[in-house]
Amino acid sequence: MLEIKPIFHALCRSKVGAILLLIQIAITTAIVSNAAFIIQDRVSYLSQETGYPEQDIFVFNVMMFGKDVSPSQQYELDEAMLRQIPGVVDAAYSSNTPLSGSGSSSDFSLKPAPEESKSARTSYMFIDEHGINTYGVKLIAGRNYTEDEVIVTDNYDELSKVTVVTKTLLDELFPDGNGLGQTVYFGDIPMKIIGVIDLMKGPWLKDSRPDNVALLPFIKPGTNARFVVRTEPGQRQSVMNRVEEAMLKNYNKRVISRIRGLDDDKESYMAEDTLMMRMLIVLITILVLVTALGIFGLTLFNISKRTKQIGTRRALGARKSAIISYFLVENAMICIVGLVIGVIAAVYLGQLLMQHFSIAQLDISYVLATALAVFVMSLLAVLAPAKRAANISPSIATRTI
Amino acid sequence: MLTMNNISKVYQTDMVQTHALRDFNLQVEEGEFIAVTGPSGSGKTTFLNIAGMLEPFSEGQYMLDGIDVGKLNDNQRADLRNQKIGFIFQGFNLIPDLNLYENIEVPLRYRGIKAAERKRRIEQCLEQVGLASRAKHLPQQLSGGQQQRVAIARALAGEPRFLLADEPTGNLDSLMARQVMELLEQINRDGATIIMVTHDPELARRAPRNIQVVDGQLADFTLYQGTQNLKAAGV
Repeated sequence: MLEIKPIFHALCRSKVGAILLLIQIAITTAIVSNAAFIIQDRVSYLSQETGYPEQDIFVFNVMMFGKDVSPSQQYELDEAMLRQIPGVVDAAYSSNTPLSGSGSSSDFSLKPAPEESKSARTSYMFIDEHGINTYGVKLIAGRNYTEDEVIVTDNYDELSKVTVVTKTLLDELFPDGNGLGQTVYFGDIPMKIIGVIDLMKGPWLKDSRPDNVALLPFIKPGTNARFVVRTEPGQRQSVMNRVEEAMLKNYNKRVISRIRGLDDDKESYMAEDTLMMRMLIVLITILVLVTALGIFGLTLFNISKRTKQIGTRRALGARKSAIISYFLVENAMICIVGLVIGVIAAVYLGQLLMQHFSIAQLDISYVLATALAVFVMSLLAVLAPAKRAANISPSIATRTI
Repeated sequence: MLTMNNISKVYQTDMVQTHALRDFNLQVEEGEFIAVTGPSGSGKTTFLNIAGMLEPFSEGQYMLDGIDVGKLNDNQRADLRNQKIGFIFQGFNLIPDLNLYENIEVPLRYRGIKAAERKRRIEQCLEQVGLASRAKHLPQQLSGGQQQRVAIARALAGEPRFLLADEPTGNLDSLMARQVMELLEQINRDGATIIMVTHDPELARRAPRNIQVVDGQLADFTLYQGTQNLKAAGV
């Protein structure tokens, strides 16, 4: 039997505790739903597909101080040596590392600069013909460039004449789907699109165009270089352990540094987001716990304040279940008002966050799911004290407290 | 109507066993008005609690309206309390956040009585105790005597077979105590069976039957009757 009307009247007559609780519930709902939405947004950002088998790829830097060899020849020898190491699938010279937050980008246009034409912001990477295989990305149309098409030079006088681009870039520049074989311009330099890669993220996952990537067959060897190596699954660590020794054995007047997995680079790049996400998780956990404790505490307080009243109700014929339902209904009524205010506040807070921190628009399903979760949590928090109240002996009614 | 046979109540702690009631025997007939007296700690309240099924007894048999109370579970006892017994407490035990109407409504709601019938009974009972105009007032807006009358109205609303009153005038001044006592007498004349625990010998004397509890046992329930007989004989 639900005593909604008398409970409502009783609450109206002593409302301070109830108002404090409903404010707490409203604040929790508003903050938790927004935080949960941001967390989900970060989780999908952090766990997005990049196109790379990140666990199998590692990168390292080389700084040559010896002047008795030609860097370009040495790097070719190094690449050949790296590919011979057991467990290595492929290795390549790479101008920069994807997912690391550091790289190069430019507008790729349909007409040579300075002519006005359609263009797309693109990150590009200089890499030889082993690049596609080394990065483990999937070529879905056209072909890879050949060794002859790779330009090895000490200056930028001559640039690649061909390029392999991601499907996203191709679709942006050629929405009609006829991009393969067309020419795009890197500044005023024409390049023919000879191949299309399915998915390959650039260096900046937070960029407005993280999927626009172009691979250019161009190498400008200097004293500093970066190599990327892909291993068989599970072999990466053992190859990483051996790579410095193998490189120095090949030529020892140089320093091998920063041997790290592709996922390590990505993790460093995403560290801030990971931290924010963890802090938000801690925040909402604490908030929910504090609210649950608040409800638990207030109910315990109410019970100790109303011990005699509960005993009297029992004496007047209330079953234990009626006492439990009394506290559950009372809490549910406070909670529902708090949730209604909380839902409105959540939507408002979501709009503020969207305006000031360029966060995506809050999905109302998060607010409703949070409201439901807070409601269930509040009922659970009140259940144990309510059971305790139900066990108060009716004989308390005849005692003088 | 109410029969207690060899009822015992033992409170057990780690170290001590306290016998609150021992071999307590009592028979109450319909329409009686019984005053229960006895010194503090004699077991009066324990007797009242057991009679009102507010606490279980340790041994013996308690029959209420032909029902063996010892065989009932908690829910059945709650239902039986609700249907057969009206309580009047020393401290009134009105719920401070509910107005008079809602206070009287409490036991009726537990019985599942429909709203229209509840309204009829509440208005009738408030009328009976002379507080019909104050239904929307909160208990703290009333005097002690008025609050006890509300408590009596609450006890009457369920149309119980028994009224159990625990020091009903204990918190009232003598004028109010007299008014409440007159109300109880009126209710008894109307047919309700009343068992009243009291410290006050004045009040006890007004009840047609007196029983005394001493050391957890019924000491002398013919005392009052005996006195009356002596008076009648001119002694």
